[in-house]
Amino acid sequence: MEGNLAIIGYGLSAIGPGVGIGLIFAAYVAGVARQPETRGVLQTIAILGFVLCEQLAIFGIALAFVFS
Amino acid sequence: MTTMVSAAEEFVPPSAPDFWQPLVGTGAFAVTRSMIVMLLVTLVLAVVMVAATRRLSVVPGRGQYYLEGVYGLVRNSIGRDIIGSAHFRPYVPLLFTLFTLILLNNLMGIVPPVQFPTMSRIGFPLALALGVYVVYLVAGVRRRGLGGFLRNLVPSGLPFWVVPVVFLLELVTFLITRPVTLTLRLFGNMFAGHILLLLFALGGEYLLLHGEGLLKLVSLPAFLMFFLFTAFEILIAFLQAYVFILLASVYIAEVYADDH
Amino acid sequence: MSALSDVTAAAEGGDGGFWEDAYPVIPHPGELIVGIISFLVLYVVYRRLVVPRLEKLLAERRKGIEGGIERAEAMQAEAKAALEQYRAQLAEARTEAAQIRDQARAEGQQILEELRAQAQEESARIVARGEEQLAANRQSVVNELRGQIGALAVDLAGRVVGESLEDDARRRGTVDRFLDQLDGMAPGTPGDGRTGSSVFVPGGDR
Repeated sequence: MEGNLAIIGYGLSAIGPGVGIGLIFAAYVAGVARQPETRGVLQTIAILGFVLCEQLAIFGIALAFVFS
Repeated sequence: MTTMVSAAEEFVPPSAPDFWQPLVGTGAFAVTRSMIVMLLVTLVLAVVMVAATRRLSVVPGRGQYYLEGVYGLVRNSIGRDIIGSAHFRPYVPLLFTLFTLILLNNLMGIVPPVQFPTMSRIGFPLALALGVYVVYLVAGVRRRGLGGFLRNLVPSGLPFWVVPVVFLLELVTFLITRPVTLTLRLFGNMFAGHILLLLFALGGEYLLLHGEGLLKLVSLPAFLMFFLFTAFEILIAFLQAYVFILLASVYIAEVYADDH
Repeated sequence: MSALSDVTAAAEGGDGGFWEDAYPVIPHPGELIVGIISFLVLYVVYRRLVVPRLEKLLAERRKGIEGGIERAEAMQAEAKAALEQYRAQLAEARTEAAQIRDQARAEGQQILEELRAQAQEESARIVARGEEQLAANRQSVVNELRGQIGALAVDLAGRVVGESLEDDARRRGTVDRFLDQLDGMAPGTPGDGRTGSSVFVPGGDR
């Protein structure tokens, strides 16, 4: 079997951000459902949180290529 | 990258070297495909924008309506709402430049004659991130002076022995983490997205041309996924452009936040 | 996508070099420079031309809207003034009406008073005339009765004492004396109409 261990590392590193992004959007959906008028504010905050969370996964993919 | 002969015999998955496409010359200053795309996009944007804003009317036509929509999104939803109505005006050109440049470059990853996302070469996102980096550092130093800027990194009211640690962390965040994450996010999204597209396209092609019997049919779902991910890439292209200027505004807004 | 592979394959026909196998996270200097230049050029174009034009448009539009608002405000003020004027006129008319009403009421009161006074006067006059008439009637009745009673009494007395008192002059003197006596016995003066207690006032005479 052929492959690269770094990609497994990337897979592992994507778990955390995956869970985190799920939590962020779950909270966003719940917030909008509860108070639809706050949608605009919550959207910006949710995307900001999503981005900060996603950056870990992006680090992962970058480092996976560095160490491959 | 293997040669075409081997590509015909066994499947070679797309990888990083696929993005290295020099057109003229080799080495550090070779003219690459992404450079051409970038210059093309810049030229198109400059010409279209100047032409579109030449005759603006108070009652907008169709094209002007869309232009104003994009401009309003950048100016009001991001610039004014995040930086604050008192300080956002000088940064509107920066944000608008970043947004249109990134959006169009990202869309170039999908638009058929080009189909190469400029931002999947890390030099371009780095150039844009450096622009933001310089702007928010200069704005911060200009507002508070170098001493004030450094002092402002540490929130007040911390026990004295924490101060150096926090200071170091914040300095690293300001000087290294922020530009690096700004670069890597845009680069990583476009790079990974395009690799995914390549994988479905090349895999589907390989299955269709070299698959045996029923295996040729499996290329259909691969091509279907290719179309789906192309549509998804449009969303990503927009989202990354949005996120880039969102973060740029957040960094700039921090300069004008009175407390830490 | 095969075109992409072709280009790649063609390009790497010579030497792949460092940049082909380099990590994708290492920026290519040429691309970095082109990126910076493109960014700066576009930024300058936007800053000099595009954004000022758009801002001017927004300012114009805002001014237009503000002008519209101003016009609307002026119209509103005008309408308000008209309303005020109308209200003032209405109030004036109302006070005037109230005045007229008060006046009319006062006049009515006066007329009523006058009428009442007149009526009272009338009634007083009627009462006086009635009394007068009553007194006259009474006088005539008294006079008549005086004659009849005199005749009756003389007749009766003549019959009782058996003595004919034909002599007129004597009879009259006797009767008058008798009646004077009667008058003297009656309480109060006989001419007074208010005293209905005199024996000769007939109740159903009027």
